[in-house]
Amino acid sequence: MINRRHFLTTVAVGTASAGVLAACGTGSSTSGQTGSADNPVTINYTWWGNDDRAERTRKAIALFESKNPDIKVNGNFTDFAGYWQKRATEAAGGGLPDVMQWDLSYLRDYGQRNQLLDLGTVKINTDAFEKSLLPSGQIKGKTYGIPTSTNAFAVYYDPAKLASLGIAEPDGSWTYKEFNTFLTEVGSKSNGALFGGTDYTGVWWMFNVWLRQNNIEAFTSEGKLGFSKDDLKKWWNLTADLRGTPAIVSEERVTQLAPKSPFGSNVTATEVTWDNFMAGYLGDSGAKELKLVPVPSDDADNLGLFLKPSMLMVASAKTKFKDAAARFIDFMVNDPEVGQIFKTSRGVPASKTQRDGTTFEGTDKVVVDYETSISQYLKDAPEPPIVGFGTLETSFKRIASDLNYGKLDINGATDAWFKEAEDLIKQNA
Amino acid sequence: MTTMATPTQSAPETGAPVYNPKSESVGAKRAKSTVFHLAALVLTGIVLYPGLWMIASAFKPNSEIGGGNTSLWSENFSLDNFVTALDGIGGVSTMQFFTNSLILALGAVVGTILSASVSAYAFARIKFPGRSVFFGMMIATLLLPFHVVIIPQYIIFQQLGLVDTYIPLLIGKFLAADAFFVFLMVQFMRGLPAELDEAARIDGAGHVRIFGSIMLPLMKPALISTSIFSFIWSWNDFLGPLLYLNTPEKYPLPLALRLFQDQTQSSDYGAMIAMSVLALLPVLIFFLIFQRYIVEGVSTQGLKG
Repeated sequence: MINRRHFLTTVAVGTASAGVLAACGTGSSTSGQTGSADNPVTINYTWWGNDDRAERTRKAIALFESKNPDIKVNGNFTDFAGYWQKRATEAAGGGLPDVMQWDLSYLRDYGQRNQLLDLGTVKINTDAFEKSLLPSGQIKGKTYGIPTSTNAFAVYYDPAKLASLGIAEPDGSWTYKEFNTFLTEVGSKSNGALFGGTDYTGVWWMFNVWLRQNNIEAFTSEGKLGFSKDDLKKWWNLTADLRGTPAIVSEERVTQLAPKSPFGSNVTATEVTWDNFMAGYLGDSGAKELKLVPVPSDDADNLGLFLKPSMLMVASAKTKFKDAAARFIDFMVNDPEVGQIFKTSRGVPASKTQRDGTTFEGTDKVVVDYETSISQYLKDAPEPPIVGFGTLETSFKRIASDLNYGKLDINGATDAWFKEAEDLIKQNA
Repeated sequence: MTTMATPTQSAPETGAPVYNPKSESVGAKRAKSTVFHLAALVLTGIVLYPGLWMIASAFKPNSEIGGGNTSLWSENFSLDNFVTALDGIGGVSTMQFFTNSLILALGAVVGTILSASVSAYAFARIKFPGRSVFFGMMIATLLLPFHVVIIPQYIIFQQLGLVDTYIPLLIGKFLAADAFFVFLMVQFMRGLPAELDEAARIDGAGHVRIFGSIMLPLMKPALISTSIFSFIWSWNDFLGPLLYLNTPEKYPLPLALRLFQDQTQSSDYGAMIAMSVLALLPVLIFFLIFQRYIVEGVSTQGLKG
């Protein structure tokens, strides 16, 4: 008898499809095919993002097509998680789109597998870029990605919440001790209604900033870990006295609030993260205004801050239209009118031409002003993270939350993370 | 009130504590039934709560959904989320997403019904060399996870130039590639008495006639179950459309729903939930219309001609 409850979730697909592979693809010259106004070439461009980005990108594409009548751009988009599933399948099947929006953490993986076009072989103008930023799109001297825009680490706070507690707004020149005192003050003055912040030692990039403040590199040029267990212990000890107090929101609460962040849910007064999350926090929390100040540092001259490409543009290694792809990338990263269209929704424009050609107002201005204010402290952008970096970042967060749950002590947490990290690096070596 | 009063009143009237099995069992029955219904209601409440949460949240402003807001109902009741949801995404109207989903789901139903029933007839009623081997192989494809075949399949469709069409998503349905449904129908057909088709054969009917005039009408319950499940699975399928469709104009609803969320920008949970509510309606309606046939299917199977 058929048991209808045993639904098989896997839908098996038969191999009925005939194994006839069409031998398609006309022989293309190495410089790629070019089009003309009467007979334009069509390139595929894909990005992740929401409705808002789709609308802005559509405008940018229309502008590009009107300026370049010999090229048509076919734009497609999906959400971030689906985006990478789709790219992985396409890469395996040899069908990556011509031009793609890209994330730094996937650059090395695809670059090393020769899936991405070496953009040094085509004409893209990078004169208007900070020299310290470009290496983050390069692997072993080859340029695989051009940054569209940058983001930097910052401490967010909600001025209205601080005012209601009678706490002065911070100016961003603080040591870790002062920052901890500030978090504790928020927690104690609000009588538990508001936490100081989330445990910032659980954020990988904040750890990275702290390492830079102490002149330690996160990864060596050989792709090994550049810091010791003692460094990590010191880091996780920074908030040892705050865990379980109103200074830091409990891990149970964080889990209950997901997918929203505690800061976006109006449960904490501060959050340490990237400066381009502003629009998301404003939308989630409904707050009128949020402000940004630099991260704490025990060395007032070295804040360990850097600009990271919030997004890059890459091309497929197999594209038949290299020139067209290069012209589109050049347009998207340099054109001032494109800057006007996107404002800071991709991050702060990386190219000076584009940044100067854009007028920033309101929230956009807060983010741009912040990046300008820290410009004297900025150091070189990091190289593309090692393969499997995403896993390392996630396990860093997970182990730090076990620390907050009290499942692990600092020694145990350090050993656990190092073991995972070393295994992963060995696997991908 | 009267139910509880009956046993206590009747006892003193007889003057002695006479055991009254009938009234006591009625009382016990009622108590039992009350407890049962209360428990059932509580369980229903728990099971339905996520659905209730979804519907309630669809009417809330974005900043009040999830996070620290635990109350089910918001005082800022509004239909804004539905307006945003119906606005479409990136220039593609929401109706377009609905139409696409409907094309895919109905295509899947038609394809599966046509192909699976014919294949099942062959397996159940025609003796051909290697039948059990082929049947075994078909069952074996059930054990093959979808994720194993994704890449080879993608390469085939990509080389054939069929990516960004509905063909990769539907062709399998028309070729009886859903082994689960073939298996379901084979089992159902094996339960039908062989005397029926023997009688038809004596009257001169061939396989086409037997299949069309005898088997298909008797298989109605199995066909209905198959329709329901292939409709719902196709309606909810995310990975297939994600991999094979590129143009947003061709996206079905599950892909569109994800576009309201963005990790790197702001997420519009309100519009996403409003659209989820809308996306749920067709499945619900489809299920409500056909669900009584499932029950009918089970009882007919019990009778067996």
